[in-house]
Amino acid sequence: MSGETVLVFSEEAEAIPGLLAAARAAVGPGPGRVELAVLADGGGPAGSAVGGADRVYRLLLPENARHDPELVAVALRRAQEAANPRLTLVASTKRGRETAARLAGATDSAVSTGVASFALEPEGVRIRREVLSGNALGEEVLLGPRPIVAVMLGAPVPAVPPTTPPEIIDVPPPEGAGRIALVERTVKPAGGLRIEAAERIVSVGRGLRKKEDLSLIEELARAMGAVVGCTRPIAAEAGWLSDDHWIGLTGHRVKPRLYVAVGISGAVQHLVGMRESTVVVAINKDPNAPIFAQSDFTVTGDLYTVVPALVRALSGA
Amino acid sequence: MSGPIRLWVAVKHGVDVVLARADRSTGTVAMDRAPRKTSDFDRNAVEEAVRIREKLGGTVTALTVGPPTSKEALRDALALGADEAVLITDPARPDLDGRGVARALAAYARTHPGFDLWFFGEGSTDHFTGTIGPRVAAEIGAPSLSYARRVSVEDGAVLVEREYEHELEKVRAAFPAIITVGQEINQPRVPTFMSTLKASKKEIRSFGPSELGVQPSDWAPLARRDRVFVPEVNRKRQAVSGADPATTARGLVDALRREGVLP
Ligand SMILES: Cc1cc2nc3c(=O)[nH]c(=O)nc-3n(C[C@H](O)[C@H](O)[C@H](O)COP(=O)(O)OP(=O)(O)OC[C@H]3O[C@@H](n4cnc5c(N)ncnc54)[C@H](O)[C@@H]3O)c2cc1C
Ligand SMILES: Cc1cc2nc3c(=O)[nH]c(=O)nc-3n(C[C@H](O)[C@H](O)[C@H](O)COP(=O)(O)OP(=O)(O)OC[C@H]3O[C@@H](n4cnc5c(N)ncnc54)[C@H](O)[C@@H]3O)c2cc1C
Repeated sequence: MSGETVLVFSEEAEAIPGLLAAARAAVGPGPGRVELAVLADGGGPAGSAVGGADRVYRLLLPENARHDPELVAVALRRAQEAANPRLTLVASTKRGRETAARLAGATDSAVSTGVASFALEPEGVRIRREVLSGNALGEEVLLGPRPIVAVMLGAPVPAVPPTTPPEIIDVPPPEGAGRIALVERTVKPAGGLRIEAAERIVSVGRGLRKKEDLSLIEELARAMGAVVGCTRPIAAEAGWLSDDHWIGLTGHRVKPRLYVAVGISGAVQHLVGMRESTVVVAINKDPNAPIFAQSDFTVTGDLYTVVPALVRALSGA
Repeated sequence: MSGPIRLWVAVKHGVDVVLARADRSTGTVAMDRAPRKTSDFDRNAVEEAVRIREKLGGTVTALTVGPPTSKEALRDALALGADEAVLITDPARPDLDGRGVARALAAYARTHPGFDLWFFGEGSTDHFTGTIGPRVAAEIGAPSLSYARRVSVEDGAVLVEREYEHELEKVRAAFPAIITVGQEINQPRVPTFMSTLKASKKEIRSFGPSELGVQPSDWAPLARRDRVFVPEVNRKRQAVSGADPATTARGLVDALRREGVLP
């Protein structure tokens, strides 16, 4: 379709280049427009990362207002009224989903989040997203005016500097104060590991008996040139590894060339995080472990003998 | 705040993601016929409300939107300690989309004003848009405090510690407020035989569009589900085994070298 506008918004500067690219792909070549709304609350991208936007709305919010999705949604709604877009596109981050939901409530429009792909069709916006905890994909059509899509972005794409400076429009702040007071904000210490980008992952689950035995897994990872991953219980319950390593529905989504699952049963919430791996190996003592059906190579056995043997085989011993 | 604290919890009777199966020939899941189950985080939401009541007094009301079979989710909430249960149901539309669910809950809140804190899951197990809590908040003009990891009730206000991908926030809002929670916030209790038995005898109040003063069209869907299908996974499923662990290991290493996935 052509001649349509997609309005892009994100609280997070990092997400904007990816959203702009997705919006441009959706409107296609020709007369379609991509417009961008950014937060100007002292913490947003101010005019730099806007290559690919035909117009930029700066949402002038009180300093540090992003903790209040109501204020953000009110401001975004004004940009939406000005842009009159066919679709409003945000990133499916926690803040993005919240803003999308509040905007949808305020404008009585269709919204979806966690969207993997979307297309503008005459009837509405066709979307595809994971449903049933990642067990299945759902295809839906968002109907009615002003639909909102929160899209999943992969690894951040670099910002494109604008070729011609976009038109900039300031959106005045909403009247009145917000209803949520920010008491404190702390930035989480960055673990540094970006497991999404790993080529090879050796991942461990509750088959491991104690924290000290992690050295076994680390050794195998080293021998394979891999990064260590884990299931939720290992990170969230046992706390043996930080959240950076946690793979699955509520953890990180990975797609390495090689994924070695050691002592992992293969719960759906884990599988959804690693399903796109190229080659999957499972090592499990239970021949009926569900992970085996999702693997290319399976080894039935005790990880405490299989893993050391593998390390030896890899080192050529 | 005046009087005992009124805690509401929205619970969803969603599709059971473990038991739902795709039809073998078409690869699609018949959502309307799939077995149902209470959404996971909604147990955490009920637990949080019940803990507050145990400390401060008040009442916990569980609300669900769906066909009469969704009473199952209300029974679960009652067994976990909720005091009252409300079913919002529209015989003409047994299953609503997100717009309909949010508007149905908002209509109930408008006709039955008076909640102090309203808990939601931060996403449902089967559909996980994470939109219903903040959407209801927008409909009724309440603040929404999402992704709570800790909730402390103060005098007429609530302090929430919450978690984003890269940040932690502590925020405060006056009553009434909407809060969404995930599984990290608490460990829900396991219902006892007695609490389940008691729950099965409690009254569940039922409301339709006319009792809530809305036109059925107010709940009409803005989304159409075309299909739910299971993507093909084509894994080799080759068992690697040898006479002893060393042979097995060598077999696996050889296979991975052939695949070209080892450095
Ligand atoms: C809402 C929700 C979200 C969730 N999100 C996630 C998520 O993001 N990521 C995630 O991973 N999980 C998630 N889970 C949890 C998930 O359901 C499973 O509980 C979890 O993945 C199981 O982890 P596991 O495989 O390590 O443990 P288990 O299921 O306990 O499996 C351990 C496996 O180790 C094998 N084993 C035991 N001893 C040995 C041995 N000596 N040698 C070899 N094998 C052995 C066993 O046969 C078994 O298969 C989520 C759950 C819910 C409800
Ligand atoms: C047969 C069928 C067809 C459907 N078709 C569509 C469709 O085409 N398009 C579409 O968008 N949706 C459709 N739905 C509805 C959809 O599955 C969701 O139930 C609805 O959109 C709520 O969104 P969610 O589950 O993502 O809620 P989330 O926002 O992820 O849920 C968060 C929280 O909101 C509360 N909540 C959610 N739902 C309810 C509820 N029903 N009652 C009380 N509290 C609740 C709970 O506290 C929950 O933890 C269909 C459902 C069925 C069963």
